[in-house]
Amino acid sequence: MSEAQSVPPSDTEFEDGIVEERLRRLWARRRGFWGALAAVDHKVIGRRYIATAFVFLGLGGLLALAMRLQLAAPEARFIDADRYNQIFTMHGTTMMFLFAVPVMEAMAVYLVPLMVGTRNIAFPRLNAFSYWTYVLGGILLWVAFALDVGPDVGWFAYVPLAGPEFSPGKRADIWAQMITFTEIAALSVAVGIVVTVFKQRAPGMTLDRIPLFVWAMLVMAFLVIMAMPAIMLASTTLILDRLVETQFYNPAEGGDSLLWQHLFWFFGHPEVYIIFLPAVGMVSTILPTFCGRPVFGYLALVMAMIATGVLSFGLWVHHMFTVGLPRLGESFFTASSMSIAIPAGIQIFCWLATLWDGRPRFQTPLLFIIGFIITFVMGGLTGVMVASVPLDTQVHDSYFVIAHFHYVLIGGAVFPLLGAIYYWFPKFTGRMMSERAGKWAFGLIFVGFHMTFFPMHMLGLMGMPRRVYTYQPEMPWGNINLFVSLSSLILASGFLLFFIDVVRSYRRGEEAGDNPWGASTLEWAIASPPPPYNFRRIPVVESREPLWDCGETLPVASGLRLDRRELIVTSVVQGLPEAREASPQECIWPFWAALATAFLLIWSIFSPWAVVWGSIPAAAALIAWFWPKGTPEDEG
Amino acid sequence: MNAVKGRTVLFVVIAPFVLTGAALGWLRESRSYRTAPPVTAELETSRLLPIGIGGAPAEVYFASGSVYEKDAYNLSQGKRLYDWFGCPACHGDGRGKNGPSFLDGWWLYGPDMVSIMASIRNGRPHGMPAFRDRMTEEQIWQLAGYVETIGAYKALIAAPSRNDGIHTRPSENRAPAVILFEQGPVGNRREQGPTP
Repeated sequence: MSEAQSVPPSDTEFEDGIVEERLRRLWARRRGFWGALAAVDHKVIGRRYIATAFVFLGLGGLLALAMRLQLAAPEARFIDADRYNQIFTMHGTTMMFLFAVPVMEAMAVYLVPLMVGTRNIAFPRLNAFSYWTYVLGGILLWVAFALDVGPDVGWFAYVPLAGPEFSPGKRADIWAQMITFTEIAALSVAVGIVVTVFKQRAPGMTLDRIPLFVWAMLVMAFLVIMAMPAIMLASTTLILDRLVETQFYNPAEGGDSLLWQHLFWFFGHPEVYIIFLPAVGMVSTILPTFCGRPVFGYLALVMAMIATGVLSFGLWVHHMFTVGLPRLGESFFTASSMSIAIPAGIQIFCWLATLWDGRPRFQTPLLFIIGFIITFVMGGLTGVMVASVPLDTQVHDSYFVIAHFHYVLIGGAVFPLLGAIYYWFPKFTGRMMSERAGKWAFGLIFVGFHMTFFPMHMLGLMGMPRRVYTYQPEMPWGNINLFVSLSSLILASGFLLFFIDVVRSYRRGEEAGDNPWGASTLEWAIASPPPPYNFRRIPVVESREPLWDCGETLPVASGLRLDRRELIVTSVVQGLPEAREASPQECIWPFWAALATAFLLIWSIFSPWAVVWGSIPAAAALIAWFWPKGTPEDEG
Repeated sequence: MNAVKGRTVLFVVIAPFVLTGAALGWLRESRSYRTAPPVTAELETSRLLPIGIGGAPAEVYFASGSVYEKDAYNLSQGKRLYDWFGCPACHGDGRGKNGPSFLDGWWLYGPDMVSIMASIRNGRPHGMPAFRDRMTEEQIWQLAGYVETIGAYKALIAAPSRNDGIHTRPSENRAPAVILFEQGPVGNRREQGPTP
């Protein structure tokens, strides 16, 4: 900037009140319908993402209830085989691709920028694009289901069943293309998270002062970046096989149907940890607050998370023990599968030590965490069991496996997530959720969950296979299935209570202050809900528990301009301030770009020419997106 | 909050689409693994002209939406039956061997559904056996629908894709007939002359 120009206003020269007023105007969200479509604030996007993901949780849960209705009695005739196939596929696909992964990313989108003390996520427009892509993918899947062309090939869509010969119609294509949508969405979020964590941390937040939630989300984002391309390749080649007769999965022409399973599980197993690691982060962040002491073994927990992330790429074959692989390979993957119990064990012991040494306050979030520890340990034990080839060969594709992965997914991820919702709800909305309803919800969910899923272990050992739409009265499974179906109503009523509590608390919950739980991380230093600019002045971090160690006043950095949206870029390791960086304004083009992408992807289910003609509107939207808008943020 | 209002508006825009979709879904025929017996019994009453070429399918055929010609599931079942009942022995991959080709645009008994169905059900002179007693009525119609698709001029979106097998010609959803028309007739019945 030359001397002649006037120096832009900086927050050093003004009082807090004036800074706040100017920031409010500077970061103001645009109003109205088009303003809502143009939103780039990570809190707005994060909130939408979370709400949408929970809508899909509800839908997936209804499908689960439908399945339990059908399975409650032998030879029941509520749902026929074809619809049942669609329902179990939709349940798995919705829960994995439209709920579990997106909701974890959504929590990161909302919380990571707050926890690292910055004003918006890196690449906010890409973040908005991610949300729209995700929603459109979800709508594609569910509209297809309503039209009776929902996928019916399982959430893993194994070839040759999902291939061109055995899956007529567009059902498998809908599945594959929905995958493409969610992959694009996930990758877009993941790069934003990585850059936010690496480059936008508050000054002084060295690597060893990063909150564990943020560490977990960082590892998760790397897993997304490395695992998702495998499934993108898989879903694209599947569509090519089905539409334009490529031969990737055709053994007669040099293709390989096992290739599908390798590609799918090379993504699918890390995906389990993409869901689980954020839960680890949530637990490690919530526990200290309710135990009143810093988490035990910070370094061990960080290392365990990274080790889990690395190991998760080396055990995909344990999903394929029964396809006939060489013995040595099976042994290797048995060993690597069992070895992941080591970092998981380290985490469990660190949490137990934190609980042991602290003074636990048994409020709802902590109850969910304790429920998580119990349930996850049980799921982990059956995990070690199915990691061994002989046992897996016996129980493969039986209800034992269903029980196992619901223990690790619901117990390992949904329980912490519900705890996290109770914990951060005051920050999201400025209101507390009901403690009484929360305890009831926890009780119903915890008891209902174990009553629903524990008997499935027995069903599996008694030989009941997965994915069957009914079973014969001669089989000894009827009573247990009826028990499971009735118990699922308890589980569902717990979730219903949770949803009612969320809606009620959102409308007229008790007012929450800035820091209702007395927590130590940066997001609690600001108002609830946070103002659009998050922090009036960017905080300076001097310890791992800034709010506990700094007393009343948090040291801050200043020198940011007040005439354009700015945030501080810091160095990766030490968190030293390096530069001021502009953060873009609201923009409608991510929405149009997502719409154009959806147009291309959906059309390409029907004709390969869609890729040619559909790329024109997509390119136009991207050009408009990147075209300089003449705002102060465009300057270097 | 304007974000909340925006979401409401968005919901108002999207909801009708979702509801319409759901309604259409309920109205649409769902995939059934077995046609109702009264319907197949009625299908057997389809009438053929006395010369054995052309005719009228039973009313129920249209009432049920001509599924055997349009529905991806039935077409793909037809394709499977084509292999299972030995059709490739004489007709090859559709280009003909000892029997006529389905791809050259020359239909000895006409290209309509009833004629093809009658050929399968009752057999034809010069070697085409009758499958009346080997396949169910439903299977005959599925197979007829598939055979009609092989010779289609235009690719149907519902047409089956390739098999997991040796690849000898473009699959039905790539409209093999169109590609072969450009090359001229293929098959052993040269006496039929050039493609009409």
